[in-house]
Amino acid sequence: MSQKLPTAALEKQPAAFRTPARERAKRLQGRRAVAGLGTRLGLVGVYAFLVVMTIFALFPFYYVVQASFAGAQNLYTTDLHLFPAHFTFANYLTAFTQEPLLNWIGNTLLVCGLTALCGLVCSTSGAYALARFRFAGRELTLRALLTLQAFPGLLALTAYYLLLNALHLLNNLLGLVLIYSAGAIVFCCWNTKTYLDALPIELEQAALVDGATPFQAFWHIVLPLATPALAVAALFTFMTGWNEFALANLVLNANANGSNLTFILGLYSLQSDFRTPWGIFAAASVIVSLPLMVIFFFAQRYFRSGLAQGGLAN
Amino acid sequence: MLRVKRRTIVAFLLPMLVMMAVINLWPILYTLYLSTTNYSEFNSDNYRFIGLENYRQLLFSLDSDFFPVLWQTLLYVVVCLVCFLIVGMLTALALNNPRIKGLPFWRVILLLPWAAPSGITALIWKFLFQYDFGPLNQIGRLFFGQQFGIPWLLNPTLAFIAVVIVNVWLSYPFFTVVILGALQSIPGELREAARIDGAGPWQYFRHVTLPLVTPALIPAAILSAITTFQMFNTVFLITQGGPVVSALKPGATEFVMIYMYNRILGASVANPHYGFIAAFSITLFALLAALTYLGSGLGTRLPELSGFREART
Repeated sequence: MSQKLPTAALEKQPAAFRTPARERAKRLQGRRAVAGLGTRLGLVGVYAFLVVMTIFALFPFYYVVQASFAGAQNLYTTDLHLFPAHFTFANYLTAFTQEPLLNWIGNTLLVCGLTALCGLVCSTSGAYALARFRFAGRELTLRALLTLQAFPGLLALTAYYLLLNALHLLNNLLGLVLIYSAGAIVFCCWNTKTYLDALPIELEQAALVDGATPFQAFWHIVLPLATPALAVAALFTFMTGWNEFALANLVLNANANGSNLTFILGLYSLQSDFRTPWGIFAAASVIVSLPLMVIFFFAQRYFRSGLAQGGLAN
Repeated sequence: MLRVKRRTIVAFLLPMLVMMAVINLWPILYTLYLSTTNYSEFNSDNYRFIGLENYRQLLFSLDSDFFPVLWQTLLYVVVCLVCFLIVGMLTALALNNPRIKGLPFWRVILLLPWAAPSGITALIWKFLFQYDFGPLNQIGRLFFGQQFGIPWLLNPTLAFIAVVIVNVWLSYPFFTVVILGALQSIPGELREAARIDGAGPWQYFRHVTLPLVTPALIPAAILSAITTFQMFNTVFLITQGGPVVSALKPGATEFVMIYMYNRILGASVANPHYGFIAAFSITLFALLAALTYLGSGLGTRLPELSGFREART
């Protein structure tokens, strides 16, 4: 340990200096010993904290995974069961065969996919215009975007209901896509625009000089370069849709077997059953959460770099 | 900047502006219009313009739920934010401690709640809080005997605590990431210099770490305050805004968005007053917009950051 070195050096001091120096060294050593003990205790404390946080973070996951493999006798009891007494796949089988799980997943994929697509298609060229052209009303548009960003679609519940009613899109997945697109467009536009702001303009200028039309420059030069930002925007839009409950509940009314719902609505309807089928609920949650979490973890780094270039980095 | 014809600019902007006019702007303007009428389910055929009457009723009437619901929501925001900051700071400090073995492992585990789809985990948490079969009470029974049971979702205070716990579980990883990023950008020489000057760990934290982390924390905190303020999904899926103690008062976890939703689509509401709720919406929007401007005024980039966080709201 390097802490011993100064003391050893002090021993070699002339006698005249020895006492006070030694005294000082001793005191210092004592203090260091206390500090060392403190650090060690602190280290134990940090580990203890990490273990507690791990339990907090993982318990819901663990419990639901084990519940998905457990039989009913493990779940409808007042005693704690942390391991399935009889390991079974029955919950998964039932989830797929008796509940319209595949329909829910399909509906959600359709809604989220179309929302992401609509968000990108409608916003990308606009974002390009805001990033590259100067025109009257540009500042106003940017300010409006920022304000709209603050508007949760839920606040206009009545208006959306009447709008979809007029368009005959109530109880229709496309109606949900339309409402979700409102948030998606604003987010995609802002994210893409900040990304393009950081992208060098020279390539496009050169293309224009060489006789390309602005649209050709946009299509052949900018779009390929902006792919990371577009992918990130699409992914976020997609994942937001997965969790949205309120507007989905407004637009979609469950039919007889509930096959027209999105996933989160279906899961909720499972839970509000008179006798909640916890095992099936757990199995359904695992089936859907797992792929999403895997995607999230693999995409995480990509997310951060895409957004960092989009202006997050500071 | 590129010089192009005006026609080109319009062509580029048109798809976005048309779409936004229909699905962003029109609903807001229509809500604004509704807020000045007495439109309700029962008089949907012959409603009329009543000026600012709805706003007067909302803000100045004594039996208006607006301020109780707003205070309740603000309390929730403050309690959640304090918990986010404390848990996020502690986890980030732990993950930034070079003496801890296996840091990548801990990091993955502690950030896991972030990756989970929040709607599904809210329903899972509801399961955990269940009185008879929920594992939280089952654990309690191990220690305190069979009659033990915490009425998590039945008691107003406990339900409030429950939704705070879930929100902390969902949101602390965001703060961990933000704070950890800021911690890792603190140069190592500062620690050395502070040590030589005789600063203890607390002094180092108080006078070096905290001031250097704060600039990164402020936008994250404002953003989280906004998302928590308008939180709907997580809380609604767990409590539906309840438990309701009296028919005259809003439920204990009936925060602004849930209140609005329940007044329109709630099972017990026979005659939704769309006009009045529209006034409620517009007032909330004004508050949210003000908060967003405040946030962007502080030199932050809320929209991008919100995307960063979005995956889990």
